[in-house]
Amino acid sequence: MLARSAEGLYWTGRHLERAEHLCRLLWLQVEALVDRPVEEIHFGWRRIYRSLRRAPPGGREEFGAGEDYTLADSYTLADDLTFEPANPDSLWSCFASGRENARQTRHCISGEMWTCLNLAWLRIGALDIKQIWGASPETFYAETAREIDTFCGVAEATMYRDEGWRFMRLGRCIERALLTVALLRAQLDAAAQEEDEAEWTSLLRAYQALEAYHRRHGLAIEPDAVLNLLVTDPLLPRSLRHSLQAAHTELTAIGPGPGARASAEATRLAGKLCALAEHDWRQRQRAADIHAHEGALLRKAEGHCRRLHELTTLSYFEYGIEDAPLH
Amino acid sequence: MYKREWLRLDFDAYDLDSAIYDEAFLPDGTPRDHYRALHAAMRAATPERFAAIKERINRSFVHESISFTLHGGDEAQERIIPIDCVPRILAAAEWRGLEAGLSQRLTALNRFLSDIYSTGRIVADGVIPADMVRGCPHYRLAMRGVEVPRGVYAAICGSDIVRTSHGYQVLEDNLRTPSGVAYMVANRKAVKAGLRRLYRRCRVREVEHYGRLLLETLKELAPPGRPDPTIVVLTPGVYNAAFYEHMFLANEIGAALVEGRDLLVNDGAVYMRSTSGLRRVDVIYRRVDDDFLDPLEFRPDSLLGVPGLMHAYKLGNVAIANAPGAGVADDKSVYAYVPDMIRYYLGEEPLLANVETYLCRRPRDLEYTLDNLANLVVKRVGESGGYGMLIGPGATPAEHAEYANAVRANPADFVSQPVLALSRSPCFIDGKPAPRHVDLRPFALQGAQTRMVPGAFCRVALREGSLVVNSSQGGGGKDVWVLADAPGEQP
Repeated sequence: MLARSAEGLYWTGRHLERAEHLCRLLWLQVEALVDRPVEEIHFGWRRIYRSLRRAPPGGREEFGAGEDYTLADSYTLADDLTFEPANPDSLWSCFASGRENARQTRHCISGEMWTCLNLAWLRIGALDIKQIWGASPETFYAETAREIDTFCGVAEATMYRDEGWRFMRLGRCIERALLTVALLRAQLDAAAQEEDEAEWTSLLRAYQALEAYHRRHGLAIEPDAVLNLLVTDPLLPRSLRHSLQAAHTELTAIGPGPGARASAEATRLAGKLCALAEHDWRQRQRAADIHAHEGALLRKAEGHCRRLHELTTLSYFEYGIEDAPLH
Repeated sequence: MYKREWLRLDFDAYDLDSAIYDEAFLPDGTPRDHYRALHAAMRAATPERFAAIKERINRSFVHESISFTLHGGDEAQERIIPIDCVPRILAAAEWRGLEAGLSQRLTALNRFLSDIYSTGRIVADGVIPADMVRGCPHYRLAMRGVEVPRGVYAAICGSDIVRTSHGYQVLEDNLRTPSGVAYMVANRKAVKAGLRRLYRRCRVREVEHYGRLLLETLKELAPPGRPDPTIVVLTPGVYNAAFYEHMFLANEIGAALVEGRDLLVNDGAVYMRSTSGLRRVDVIYRRVDDDFLDPLEFRPDSLLGVPGLMHAYKLGNVAIANAPGAGVADDKSVYAYVPDMIRYYLGEEPLLANVETYLCRRPRDLEYTLDNLANLVVKRVGESGGYGMLIGPGATPAEHAEYANAVRANPADFVSQPVLALSRSPCFIDGKPAPRHVDLRPFALQGAQTRMVPGAFCRVALREGSLVVNSSQGGGGKDVWVLADAPGEQP
């Protein structure tokens, strides 16, 4: 297929995955505003901003003490992360980019997918923070998350399984892996020294993994077990291992790209990442300083994921034409 | 019993003007035969029901974002063409006349283009002045002597047709990058869903197979020895007003939607950058103007083009539809000679009339134009889309004077035509049926044969009294229903 269209679909997948991820975090966050202690709310905002590698508006990560400040700050922060067009990481921006990429590749996706995405976009585009805050912000985030889920379901049910489908999936998987690694790093960095169960519970909920956790590990929330589930579990659709394996599968199915060297390296790297999420992570128990080792492993995974994105671009989208095969 | 009769749509206030042809009604107010079913259905419906149908149709366009891009200020806006839910209906016989006339016209236009880029017989025989052809801004020297697949320069043609009390007339031909066909199909889908029972009763002919006819046509133009040609649609990009249509067409014919930067020329052949390497391209359906096709041959500053494309084209390794240089035949002065072309090349009388046109290059026509400026439409040759035009009756004396000076300075750049009383067709406006001026753009395809779907994009001037149908200036669209022959009727 046309390289530029494939790239457009790849980015549609990436942006929408990003929008969904942020939407779920914000949903948890506005729920926490109702009944959780101030410290936990602060922790939540810090975790989001750190995982995005962004400073909150105003540039400070410390929050005003007291309940009133927390609520006022939360309004500003939610606006920044939801509707701010100048913030490239906001839900609005991710959605706008995802939709624009889809618009340019509308002929490569199904009509049902387009209508579904466009309807969601029309709804979000007509709202602002004041409107959703006044009513029930939970409902807004829940609906938006459901709309993205619906889009994915419609795609699953209607899209022709050609290369376009694979590139869109690849984009989603790479983005999901990147976001997971970043969020886990932020969690480890921001987690208070004395471990607070609530922070780990909310992490599980961000991945819709709380039920799975209870089924597998019982009711007690153990940070170690939580990390194991989110990193290595092969059955959890949002685990790091699951995302990386899916990325590896898509790359293999697409086959070698015209950028031959980058392509070979990408496949190798995807394999290495799968091994990291499965094998290396389990071996971390042997390390002298487990926490430091976990951090190092996640850093490495993040670097590899970024490289995987670059290699994908070089193999299929921006390859040099000198040694590209002629058909 | 409670009478709801007063709530029905009524035509009592519907304005019939004896000087203007009404598509639906005879001058005495009785509906024309082919409008009877629609008239009855409207009479039986409440304004609320019609308003709901209209709302639903237009909402479906918003939901699917079937839009054109309007550039004003810094931001590009996605705009929807408002659709009037009342279809324009053409009787079977009317369509047959249009079809035959357009097919004849397009055949003659292609013969003309073949001729002027080779021997120039028509010029040598004195039928058309040489300087009009060679001096036309759309004449491409680079096309001289180039062998074009099947001699087809204009594979896709969208002619604007108007109806006055003198019958159908061709207002202009669009042979470069005619647009609107996507709306023909989209309007049909939406209006059909809104008026289901009426649609079924009327026995309307389908238009949805346009993509298939286009694909067949483009395949016929592929270079020899390429049995399974790769076809692409070349768009100037997502910022182009008609991007939706480019995307629609690519989707309909299963082609890649490429921009200039996706193509390159290697060893005299055109390739596109695909995910598996460079893939040979055989046919380009281009929606980019000539000037921007190839910076080596035309405008050197073009960023949209493909360097070397014309070289590959001249070698016969790729087909371009429509061919570069086809614009000579839709030039506004050359237009005046189309009836003569039909007689010259085909030995036939034109089936469709032209609009009376005065060429200011001729002293007598210039004098007439200047004397009657207030009653004429004066157009600049080589402009399109309603730009550079003077509509005499609507302009101020100062504007007349200014325009007259421009005409005197360069008479050959101007033509004039009488102001046409475009026919009107009933629309649903503010809860009532009301007449509005309409035109018609059917699409004809020419490859090894001529193909047309029975339908058209109908533009309507939604503002009362307005004659401007352009979508950028308050125009809307209508679905066009071409009826099938009644059973037993002679086709």
